[in-house]
Amino acid sequence: MEEILSFDKISKSFPGVRALDDVSFGLMRGEVHAIVGENGAGKSTLMKILSGAYTADTGRMIFEGREIVNNSPKLSRDLGIQMIYQELNLVPELSIASNIFLGQELKQGLFVNKGEQVKRCREALQELGLNISPNTLVKNLSIGAQQLVEIGKALSVNAKILVFDEPTSSLTDSEIQELFRIIRMLKARGVGMFYISHRLDELFEIGDRVTVLRDGKHIMTDRIENVTINGIIEAIAGRKIENLYPRNRGEVGAPMLEINHLSGEAFQDVSLVVREGEIVGMAGLIGAGRSEVAKAAFGIDKYKAGEVKIGGKTVSRHNPQKTKKAGMSLIPENRKLEGLALSLSIRENTVIANLQALNPTSMINRKREEDTVKEYVDKLNIATSSIEKRTMFLSGGTQQKVVLAKWLLGKSQVFIFDEPTRGIDVGAKNSIYELMDELANRGAAILMISSELPEILGMSDRIYVMSGGQVVGEFNASDTTQHQILELAFSNA
Amino acid sequence: MTSQKRSVRLSGLPNSTYIFIIVFVAASIIVPLFFTPGNISTLLTQACALMLLSTAMSVCLMMGGIDLSLGGVVSMTGVIMAMLLRGGAAPSLAILAGLLSGMVVGFLNGVVVTRMKVPSFIATFGMGGIAQSIANTLSEKRTVSWAAPTETNLLTLLGDNALTVQFGDSAAYTLSISVLLVLTIFIIAVVLLLFYRTTLGSNTYALGANEETARLAGISPNRWKTGIYVGAGFLAAIAGMVLMIRTNSLQPMIGENLEFQAVVAAVLGGNSLKGGKGSIPGAILGALTLFTVRNAMSLSGVNTSVVMVVIGCTLIVGMVINEVVQYYAAEKSKARAGIHAL
Repeated sequence: MEEILSFDKISKSFPGVRALDDVSFGLMRGEVHAIVGENGAGKSTLMKILSGAYTADTGRMIFEGREIVNNSPKLSRDLGIQMIYQELNLVPELSIASNIFLGQELKQGLFVNKGEQVKRCREALQELGLNISPNTLVKNLSIGAQQLVEIGKALSVNAKILVFDEPTSSLTDSEIQELFRIIRMLKARGVGMFYISHRLDELFEIGDRVTVLRDGKHIMTDRIENVTINGIIEAIAGRKIENLYPRNRGEVGAPMLEINHLSGEAFQDVSLVVREGEIVGMAGLIGAGRSEVAKAAFGIDKYKAGEVKIGGKTVSRHNPQKTKKAGMSLIPENRKLEGLALSLSIRENTVIANLQALNPTSMINRKREEDTVKEYVDKLNIATSSIEKRTMFLSGGTQQKVVLAKWLLGKSQVFIFDEPTRGIDVGAKNSIYELMDELANRGAAILMISSELPEILGMSDRIYVMSGGQVVGEFNASDTTQHQILELAFSNA
Repeated sequence: MTSQKRSVRLSGLPNSTYIFIIVFVAASIIVPLFFTPGNISTLLTQACALMLLSTAMSVCLMMGGIDLSLGGVVSMTGVIMAMLLRGGAAPSLAILAGLLSGMVVGFLNGVVVTRMKVPSFIATFGMGGIAQSIANTLSEKRTVSWAAPTETNLLTLLGDNALTVQFGDSAAYTLSISVLLVLTIFIIAVVLLLFYRTTLGSNTYALGANEETARLAGISPNRWKTGIYVGAGFLAAIAGMVLMIRTNSLQPMIGENLEFQAVVAAVLGGNSLKGGKGSIPGAILGALTLFTVRNAMSLSGVNTSVVMVVIGCTLIVGMVINEVVQYYAAEKSKARAGIHAL
C-alpha cells in the first residue's frame, strides 16, 4: 500500500499549552487509521491542522507526494480531504441537500442547481440506507440522523481522505454497523480514513492501524493485530487503570424512584423501579423512548397517564422544580443544549441550579460559591486553569463533568444519567463511573440510560430494555449477555 | 397522504401570513373604504420603503447581525439626491450618487463589524446616527425641494403611474399602480432570486446559525457579511429614493425610526434576533401588516394614540400565532422524521 498522507514533525502551541509536539506518522490508501488519546491529547488539533482550520507552527504535511502549503479549509477540501466533526456542523434551517453542499454548491453560472443537488443528495442518503427526503430541514432530524447526514456530506464529494471524529458517539448499534459497512465500502475504493474514537472495542472491529497520542506527543503507531485493548488503554492513560467499571456498592434498599404505568407521546405503559444504592441500566435503540421517559419522569415533558413516585411519594402536577425539590436530578444527554449555559463560567454553571441552597439569605455569597465549586472541581478532576473559564472553551469530557458537578451540588438522592459518557475519553469515563459508584455506595438511586452495551453491563445492577416505546425486558446484569439485550432491543422497533 | 402534504405546506408559510390575512380581512370588513382599488394601490405605494427596508433587515438578522443604520441611510441618501437635484444635477447622476453613498455606509458597517469586531447592534446604531447627522447638516434640517422639471426625465418617469384603471368615478375606484411600486417589486424579486437561487441564502443561514460551521465549509464570513451590509445600504438608498420621489421633496428626518419598524416587521415575519432563521417574504408581509393597520385606522379616523394600541395588540397577537403554528409544525415533523430515521 502506498502512503497518501504523512505528517512530518508537526508542532502547534496555544497560549499556555503545547497541543502538538513533533508528531510524525502517515496514512495509507484504503486504510482505516485509528487515532486515540485522552481529551486534550491533540487529536482534534492535529485533524484541524489537516483540514486547514489551524496552521501548524512547524512541520510539514505531504499529500500524494507533495507538500501542502498555505492550507485552508477550502484548499484541503479541494484536495479531497473531508472532515466529519464530533460537534455537528449542520445548519438547522437548511435542508439536508443544502447542508451537504454548503460551501461547495453545484452551480449553473451564478445559480445553484438545486435539482442536481437534491438528486446527488438522495443517492448519498440511499448509500447510507437513510430513507429521508433530501428536502427535509435538518432541525427536524434526530441527532443520530444528523450524524449520518454529516457522513453523507463527505460521501457526496469524491473524498480521498476522510476524518471521522467520534462518529459513533451518537449512533445506536445498528447504525454503527451501517456506518462500518460504509467505511468498508470506502476502504475498498482506496479512501484513506482517520478514525478518532473513545470506544476502543470499535478499533479492533474496523481499524487497520492505531496511533496513540498523549499530551500532544506521538506515543505509538502499530498494526491493530499487534496490540491489545489493555495495552492501548495504558498507552492512552500513561498509567494502569485497574478496573474500568468499579463496583463497591453495598446492599440495595427501599425503592427511591418508581414509575408506574407511565404513558406519553413516545412511550406506553412504562413501569420501572430504582432502589436505594442501586444502578439500573436502561438499554435500547435511539428512538426507543428512553430519554422521553426520563424527561417525563423529571417533569420536563407532560405525560398522559401513570404516576411517578420519588422517595415513596407521588409527585403531582409535575415540574422540574418540584422533582428537584423531591431529590431527583436529570443529567441530560445533550450537554450543549440542555446541560450547560456555554457562555457562562464553570462556577456560574455549577451553582446555577442551586443558588437558593448555597445562598440561604438570598444574597449571593461569592466566597462560599467559589469554595464549593473548587471542592467539586477537585473531586471530579475537572481539568481547568480557573473556575471562571467559560464552559464553551472546555473539551467534551470536561463539560460533562461540569454538568455532573452542577447536579451533585444539589444533594439529590435520585439521579437519571442520560448517556453520561458520550464522546468522552477512557480516563474521564473511568472517573465518572467511579463517581456514580460512590453515589450508589452512599445510598443514591441511579437510572443510567446508555447506548453503549459494555457500559450498561459493566455498571448496572439491573437492566431494563426499551423498544418501540415500551419496556420489553428486565435482567439482572450478572446473568445476561449483550446478545440477549440486543435481541430484545430490536424486538419492537 | 394529501392532507398531510397540505398541512406541511401550511406550516411552511412565512409566519406573518396568518396575522396579515386576519388584519387584511378585518380591515376590509370593518372599514368601508379600505378594500377599494384606489386605497389598496395607495397602501402598497406607501409601504414600498418599509418593504425594502424589511427585506434588508431580515437578511441582516438571518446572518446573525442587525442593521440599525437603515433609517439614517434613508435620510442621508434622500438628502444627497434631493440636494443634487436642487443644484440642477441630472436625475440619473443624483440617484447614482445616492445609491453609492448608501453602499459606502453599508461597506463601513461591514468593515467595523467584521474587521474591528464591534457588535453589529452598536456599530450600525452609531453609523445610523452619523448618517442622520450628515442628512441634518447638509440640509440644515429644512425640507429640500427642487424645481419641477419642464420636460420628461427619469424623475417624472419614476414618479408616474405604470397603469391606471378606472373602476368608477371617484378616486377610491381608480386603481393606479405607480412606477415606484413596480420598481420596488422588481428589486425585491431580484433579492429573492439571489437569496433562494444562489449561495447567498444558504450562506446567510449558515453564518447566522454558526459562524464556525460556515468557516469550516469554506465560506469567508467577513466577505459575505460585508457584502450583505453593502446590499442593505443599497436597499436603504432605494427606499430613500422612493420616498423622495413619492413626496416630491425631502424632509431630512424622513428615515427616523424606520429601522425599528423594519425590525418589527422582520420579527413578525419569523426572523429571530439571534439569527439563523427567518424569511424575506415573512418580513415583507410583516411590513404590509403594519401598513394595513395604519391605513385602516386613518381611513376610519381613529385617534392616533389609539392607533398605537391597535398596532401593539396586532404585533402581540401575531407573535402568539407564530408560536402556536410553530409548535404544531414542530410536533408534526418530529413525528414524521422519527419514523423515517428508524
